[in-house]
Amino acid sequence: MPSSQTPPAGATALDPTALRPDIADARILRVTPAEVRATLEGLKADGFALLADVGGADYPGREPRFDVVYHLVKLSAAARTLDAVGLPERVRVLCGVSEADPVVPTVSDLWPAADWAEREVFDLFGVRFAGHPDLRRIQLPADWEGYPLRKDYPLRGPARERTPRPSFALKSNVAAGTPASGRTAAALQRQIAAARGQTPKDGAE
Amino acid sequence: MAVNEMPGGQFLLAKLDDVARWAQSSSVWPLTMGLACCAIEMMTATAAEYDIARFGSEVFRASPRQADLMIVSGRVAQKMAPVVRRLWEQMADPKWVISMGACASSGGVFDNYAVVQGVDTIVPVDVYVPGCPPTPDGLLYAVNLIQQQIRQGGRGGILARA
Repeated sequence: MPSSQTPPAGATALDPTALRPDIADARILRVTPAEVRATLEGLKADGFALLADVGGADYPGREPRFDVVYHLVKLSAAARTLDAVGLPERVRVLCGVSEADPVVPTVSDLWPAADWAEREVFDLFGVRFAGHPDLRRIQLPADWEGYPLRKDYPLRGPARERTPRPSFALKSNVAAGTPASGRTAAALQRQIAAARGQTPKDGAE
Repeated sequence: MAVNEMPGGQFLLAKLDDVARWAQSSSVWPLTMGLACCAIEMMTATAAEYDIARFGSEVFRASPRQADLMIVSGRVAQKMAPVVRRLWEQMADPKWVISMGACASSGGVFDNYAVVQGVDTIVPVDVYVPGCPPTPDGLLYAVNLIQQQIRQGGRGGILARA
């Protein structure tokens, strides 16, 4: 089994193993990009033949900033009945990837299923997979700039980032005094009164 | 059009323009294109209960070359936008576009990097249908409005007046 990649002190709260302890049937392994290949090869030889998913996670401020997450499932070839299958054994391999050098070796030669999954992680997090046969964007247009699932990517995209969001003064929010737009009921009443050329009535404040 | 009583029977007297527009407006064939959940309501509009066939629009064409009407039924992803535009360009004139639902019309709740904020930024829209999703009645009314537009010789009709 691989050596554990200990997060630096102070980053513990951002360590997903701390946030999410092992679920009932899944072990969590934390590895470095240098170890991930051997770890996954070993697990595959150990019977974890199904690569269920490859995902990514961004923890800004942590070093390494990104996690590439491999979900492996061990299927029993010997089971002949549903009861014998039971709960499949699962392993989640977390591979920390630094922002400065976001490269992980590909496992698409071990599991063809990893091909598109790794492209997705590349597309949305900007993690490159060394040795991948066809590392192109998969969900976004080919000419897209940036990696939208990074937490510092503006939600509305870089082009519209600076334009103001439309504000909605919902009736229920205004009544509760906490409108989504950040304006209070009193402020809205003042604004309406001003638009009508009146002074606000008593009790507006 | 007028039905005139004539000796020996009835004759329908009408201007060719009116007959042509009536025929055209009664066979507005949509393009088979469902983009998101609004497409479910669009399919419902074609089914027995709402029955868009009553207005001659039940023939959803699989080829844009044979379609008159593009129903943008759902949010348009940035990656889908060039495809929608290309399909619209492939449709033969005259053609119409319905923007169905909040997402197609304005981006709706998807005020984010991935969704086009209103399909009218990439294709000209004739009728907007409000709703999230609109009811099938709403879509039928939009089709009716386009029929009305054609019968009145509005934009896009085969005998449209400048």
